[in-house]
Amino acid sequence: MRRNESTDVSERFEYLQTLVTEFQDTDSEEAKLQVLANLANFAYDPKNTEHLLQLQVPDLFLDMLTEENEELVEFGMGGLCNLSMDPDCRDAILQGGGISLVTTRLSSRREETVLSAITTLMNLTTAATRPQTTEPGVLQCMLRFSLADSPRLRSLASVFLQDCCSREQVRQAEQQMQGLQAAVGIPLPED
Amino acid sequence: MQAAALDAQFALILKSVNRKRCSGVMAAPVNSSSGCWKVPEVYKHHEQQKVCISRPKYREGRKAKAVKVYTINLESQYLMVQGVPAIGVMMELIQLCALYGTVEEYRPLDEYPAEEFTEVYLVKFQKLTSARAAKRNMDEKSFYGGVLHVCYVPEYETVEDTRLKLQDRRSYVMRAAWNRAKEKKEKEATNEGSSSSETTSTSDTSVTRREQTSENLTAGETSNDSHDPDFPLLPLPPQQHYFFRHENLHGTGPTEDKMGTLHNAVTNLKRPQVEGLSTDPSSSNRGQGTKRRMSSNQASEFRFLPRTTHLESRKRKMEEAAEPSATVSGEDGPLIGPKLPEPPKVDMEDDSLNTTVSLIRNTMKQVESVPDLKAVEKKIKPRRRI
Repeated sequence: MRRNESTDVSERFEYLQTLVTEFQDTDSEEAKLQVLANLANFAYDPKNTEHLLQLQVPDLFLDMLTEENEELVEFGMGGLCNLSMDPDCRDAILQGGGISLVTTRLSSRREETVLSAITTLMNLTTAATRPQTTEPGVLQCMLRFSLADSPRLRSLASVFLQDCCSREQVRQAEQQMQGLQAAVGIPLPED
Repeated sequence: MQAAALDAQFALILKSVNRKRCSGVMAAPVNSSSGCWKVPEVYKHHEQQKVCISRPKYREGRKAKAVKVYTINLESQYLMVQGVPAIGVMMELIQLCALYGTVEEYRPLDEYPAEEFTEVYLVKFQKLTSARAAKRNMDEKSFYGGVLHVCYVPEYETVEDTRLKLQDRRSYVMRAAWNRAKEKKEKEATNEGSSSSETTSTSDTSVTRREQTSENLTAGETSNDSHDPDFPLLPLPPQQHYFFRHENLHGTGPTEDKMGTLHNAVTNLKRPQVEGLSTDPSSSNRGQGTKRRMSSNQASEFRFLPRTTHLESRKRKMEEAAEPSATVSGEDGPLIGPKLPEPPKVDMEDDSLNTTVSLIRNTMKQVESVPDLKAVEKKIKPRRRI
């Protein structure tokens, strides 16, 4: 039984390695997308986490966030969303400058990208990183999302605001937003 | 006139929804935020994407699939089933769904755009894993002459649903990480154990081990950083063992195909109508009055068993103990446990009645002497060789 397990493990690693190699070597955009989607889906299963870390796949996903092709960004963000719940992957992503890369994509037009970004930020929030992941710009973004039409966006943003921030932080962000609105010329109700 | 007709139609819909609601579970309306009579939106993730045909062989799966990434946000305990033939097979559909896990609620989505002669249903599973299994097995399958299209509909989740979903997922991943770290430690311990017999002093190895432990601990840090780094992380409560066992963490369960999609519904088919376990704290809030039940097969592996299992196993033992009394006469085997008193003999004060009673009683004894869980043996016909 042990032997079968270890063979299975090494086969799995080799397969993932082949995928990563194809991704790096291919010129075809289509093949890149397919392989990226495969890797992002593999990232969902904790069984693969160790291998993906060894193959530096978190960095691969981070690289996708700066691509022009929005689909590459979406799949890369999905991969990060799947990986970032694991503590080791989370640390790898943080080391690679994940917070700022992810935060930038909160303004993406694609809903899946934004949803993955919000979840990834939640996963990247630790006592040490909270000041960054809940900085006022991000909170204002989340506040806007919590009023969006899309129910998924509303729910996820609400969970972020409720679970990752203190009430004081949210209150301050709300005040700042009102301040911005006043500056734009929308009159506030008079007392 | 028109208003009256509309009212009548509304009443009909309402009636059918109430009739069709899952009995025994009066949960909150499925789409409470915007009123369930608003026309449901057709979101992009409901659409069936085109299948990818250009994959090289080495990464072609058994089944052609679209290029899509599944994250925890996309998955949901809520499924939408389209393409159900409108021939009154709703109950059959729900029974099929129930094979993969407890269904908490279901209703037709009458206002969702549907192909002619088909219906669309919303099905809420108690557990996301059940929904995943159901989707995997029912999507693209033929059903009473139609082809089902099954997709997740996370937009029906409440904020609390979403929160619990994320929490469950986090616990699962943390648990897996914890197991991995433990296995690594054990592996290193055995490796060191074999080499320490040579030259290295025990103090050196213990220092190395402690360093590695603390490394694992910092890696295993959660966002709640209040634990003491000198002590190993406490294992998650035993209920979680069961939860992850149910998710088949230890290699017997869902495996991906070559494209990484983890949608293998293997586990629950052998035990239809698996009742979802709701003893772990995160889902106990979700309970809503559904019964807790444990499947007895998995009970033996864990030290801590919820009370219901104890009761059930005790019940079973009592039933087993009752059997020897049914076959008491001429019994050779050793009787284990106290012999239960024989049932009191009834005197009907009439000879023929008494004969009848004793005949019936004997028949009952014979019936009871047959063990309950006798597997139905199929007669295997010898294969005809042509």
